[in-house]
Parts: sequence; C-alpha cells; structure tokens
Amino acid sequence: MRVLSIITLFALGLLFAVLEASGTREHITLSPGGPEPYVLKLPPGLPSPVYDFSKNPLTKQGVALGRHLFYDPKLSRDSTISCGFCHQQFAAFGHYDHALAHGVEGRIGVRSVPTLFNLIWQKEFMWDGGVNNLEIQPLTPLTDPNEMGEDLGKLVKRLQKDPGYRKMFKEAYGTEEITSQRLFRALTQFIATMVSFESKYDSVMRKAPGVAFTPEEQEGYVIFQQKCAACHREPFFTDNSYRNNGLPYLPALNDVGRMRITSNTGDYLKFKVPSLRNVLKSSPYMHDGRFFDIYQVFNHYNKGVEQSNTIDPLVKNGIPLTDKDQRELYMFLNTLTDPGFIANSSLSEILIR
Amino acid sequence: MILRNFLLAIPAAYLCLLLFTGGTTHTGPRRPPTRTASLQLHFTHVVNGRPMALGTTAYMNAAGESFTITMFKYYISNFTLTTTTGQEITLPAAYFLVNESSDSTKRITLPQAPEGTYQRISFMIGVDSIHNMSGAQTGALDPVNGMFWTWNSGYIMAKLEGNSPVSKQPLNLVEFHIGGFKGASNVLRRVQLNFPQPVKLSAATPATVQLTADAYTWFHLPNAISFKKVASCTTPGTQAAAVADNYRNMFSISN
Repeated sequence: MRVLSIITLFALGLLFAVLEASGTREHITLSPGGPEPYVLKLPPGLPSPVYDFSKNPLTKQGVALGRHLFYDPKLSRDSTISCGFCHQQFAAFGHYDHALAHGVEGRIGVRSVPTLFNLIWQKEFMWDGGVNNLEIQPLTPLTDPNEMGEDLGKLVKRLQKDPGYRKMFKEAYGTEEITSQRLFRALTQFIATMVSFESKYDSVMRKAPGVAFTPEEQEGYVIFQQKCAACHREPFFTDNSYRNNGLPYLPALNDVGRMRITSNTGDYLKFKVPSLRNVLKSSPYMHDGRFFDIYQVFNHYNKGVEQSNTIDPLVKNGIPLTDKDQRELYMFLNTLTDPGFIANSSLSEILIR
Repeated sequence: MILRNFLLAIPAAYLCLLLFTGGTTHTGPRRPPTRTASLQLHFTHVVNGRPMALGTTAYMNAAGESFTITMFKYYISNFTLTTTTGQEITLPAAYFLVNESSDSTKRITLPQAPEGTYQRISFMIGVDSIHNMSGAQTGALDPVNGMFWTWNSGYIMAKLEGNSPVSKQPLNLVEFHIGGFKGASNVLRRVQLNFPQPVKLSAATPATVQLTADAYTWFHLPNAISFKKVASCTTPGTQAAAVADNYRNMFSISN
C-alpha cells in the first residue's frame, strides 16, 4: 500500500512535469522572501469561484497594490476620477444617488454604476455581459471617454515613471516591471477580496444562534421566493442571465442592451439580472438608474411592465404586489444588507499621496 | 474492502495515464529531437503588387475606387511546419503582431522546430479563441497595442485604416477592424503555404522565408467590397467574416 502511494506521488509529479513542459499550465508559485500569500476566507457551501487564481495568486502586497490603484485618481486622464469615485463602499461599491456614471471633465455615461462584490463567481461583466474575464474588466472604465478616459499605453508609462508604484509593483511581483497585465491582475486581486456573505439573511440561513427573521421579514422571504427568486436566485441573488424586465424604452439613451454584444435581435433590451444583496444600500436601480426608490421598482413589476418582442415570460403579465407584499418584501431585502462588508476597513478608501 | 480496492485502483490508473502520455509525447511534435533551429519570416506589404506606403500613395480597389492606407496590422499565431516526408510539426505557442509602421515587427523568428527539410508552413491569422477569454495578456497580446476591444472582449485580429473619397464615413474614413471568435462571427482563418522549394532548417545555417501580404485581397475575392457601400466594419459579425474570407488569401511566398 505504502509503495503504491509513493508510486502514485511519483506518477503525479511526472504527470505535472509533462503538463508543464507541454505549456498547458501557467501556474505561478510564490517563492519564500517574496510577496506573502493572502488567504481569502470564503463561506462554506458555495460553488468554486469562476475566476482562475492559478495565474494570479492573491498576495498581501498584490491586494494592497490593487487597493492603491483602485483609489488613485491619477489613473484617469485628468487625475480627477478614481475607480472608487464611482464605486463607493457605503453603497456596496455602486454610485449612491447617481443614475448614470460620471467621468472626467464632468462627462456623463449612459448606464448606472454596478455594485462590486462576489465578482469572482461571475463569468461576464457589464450590464450587457460584453466583458468576458474579471481581469480585463477594468480596461473598459479606464479607457471609456465618459469614465476615466485614459489611453492604456499612456497610463502604463505614467505608472512606470512613478517611483512609488515601481516600489509597490516590486513588492507585489518581485520586480519593478509595470505592465498592463500586472496592473489588471493587481486590481483583480483587490476586487477579489470584495466578498459579501455576512448579511442577516446569511446568519439566518446558517442558523446562527439567536438570529431569526422577524415575522414581516419571514413573510417577505416567502414573497421573494414566490415572485423574485427565479431570476434573483439564491445564494448570489442573481442567476447571471440577461433579461428584458419590461422597462419602458428610453429613446434618449437608445440602449439596446445585450443585442449590441451578440448582434442577436432576440437579445434586444436584455440586461444582466443584478444581485439583490445590499440592494437597499445601492440605489438608484436598473441599468440606467431610473428608479431612486425600491418602491418604484416594486411598482414597475406590479403595474409598469411594457410589452415588447423580447419581454421575459416571467414578468410579461406583471408581478402583482399588494402594499402589504411590498412592505414585507422591503423588510426582507433589508436583511440582505451586509454591514460588515460596507464597513470593512480593509476595503475602505485610502489616502493617495 | 471495496474502498481499499478503489484506492488501489487510483495509482494504477495514474500509471496507465502516465505511460500513455509519456508514449505520445515521445514521438509527438512537443518533444523534438535534441537539435532544433528556428525559421525567420520576413514580411513585405503591397497593394495589388505595388509597395505599400502609409498615407501617401493612392491605390485602386477592385471596384475601381481610389483609397489610401494609414494603418495596416494583423496577428499571426499557431504555426505548423510540414516536413517533406509529410510530418506536421506544431510549433510552441507564439503570437506576433505584424505592423506596417514598425519594421522590427516585419521580421519575426518562429519558435524552435526540429532540424529537417520542410515543404509547407501554416498559421492562423488572428489570436485563437482561448486567448480571447483568458484575461490580461502581455507581449504582443498586451491591450496597449490597441488590438483589444474594450466593450466586447476579444482581439481585433487584423486592422486596416485609411481614406477613400467615396466613403460616406466622417473624413471619408475607411476603417476595417476585423475580430470575433465565436460561432458564425468567428474570423479566425488558417493560411497554408507551400514553399517554392524545400526549406532546410539547421542550427548552423539560419533559414529565412520572404512573405508578401497584399492588402488588395481584403476587398476583392470572394466578397468584393465597394467603399461607397461599406467603408467601415468595427464589430464582429457577417461583414467581418466576409473580409476574413478575403484576407485569408493575402499571403504569398516570394523566395
């Protein structure tokens, strides 16, 4: 038995050596004396993250670099807009009270700022799913003329000239080299630490001692399960699909949604189903931020749905919600707020010199 | 007992797997003989046989419309070489962005291949689908090269920009950014070229092959394009695929 185990180990070792030699794996191992591993604590019972950490293992120095980049307005063309300018922690990294994204020179974009958490479980990003990997996601806001408006090549050159960044990249990656890949991977490391699974709802589900839904929250949970959970599926409170939820079309924005990405008319007016976690902290709502109050959202599903060819069958006939239903639903959604996440000091804004 | 039998079966299975992979890699393309050499490719860009000069020279497309070229660049990757005995060697992964405005990009050195005599080369125009989905890349694939779409992730496999008086775009622009790697929008095309005479590859004497890429082909056959009707294509889709079906014919070997 012991001999066989040794053979197994030997065989496994050889197998990996063959895989390495054939170039099918790009696995980075941390060496002693270099950056220290960062252990991301994830709650039990969740599926494995979609994001492949093997090429970008989390390190304390990598996460710290990502946080510095996230809050540094010098990443934008005119040094006014950081990632954190629009992605505010107290709003679960959405943009509180702003319907549409803001950018350099006072420019305004065409969509609302999405919240940032649990992104390592997402396959696609943006309201239309146009971005296919978490690492490459920052490219869009960094370069969009209505957001940070900077040329990627110029940004990388600016960082290369900055002694502070050269030092931080060395601490994170072992050498001073600054490339767009290292920039993206560091931002990804910080964003990977934005994990929100510590709401009252989570405590109730885990049967934490002394925690229970109030009667109204419980009633709201029942309504949620009957009327919302098909799209806002637990435990992420989204099924990551794209749907037309019957929002009246706004000619001024002319946003066709996912059709722009797929060129498929069947995707006309479809947008990603957003997570409902921290929803009461992250108004306004919808891809264009048209609803500032969650009761406007309830009202939309209750009697505001506009018919069109691609309307989702689940909302086609509206979702009847009485005043009592709406109040109870509000109470339930309130249990999805994760106060520890919103106040997590390791995610908070830092002073950039 | 059943569990123990199962546990004993695992190492046995690994051993089988090891023997199997060991056997194939030994004779396969990934484990070349000890002596290897690399082939150099030199690119020359022309338009219907005339040398390409960015910005200054006016050319005619097949529809008889005058146009200039201000930018011309494309990715090539996934190389194979075929010996005169018919053995196809897949070279280790390599990606090159060939750019008319940068002479150094027009002289590339392919990864090492076994010494031998070769009759044919093949490569892909573009970046294989997996590298369109694998996150942040570096080197030729770094998005700083302006060949990665920010709004719809994926590489622009080939780019031609210029002007034509018949273009209805602002400033009479001609803009062809050809990309897309999924389903019917897939623009990845393989090119296969026979060497006029066999190429002997040895470590002692480096071998160079001269390739010519003719931009005229982009708008010619099988899908003739008039700039009066189509002067811009900057999203994946059927138009981009039609251009890719044209430009797959752009290469020829001149030595």
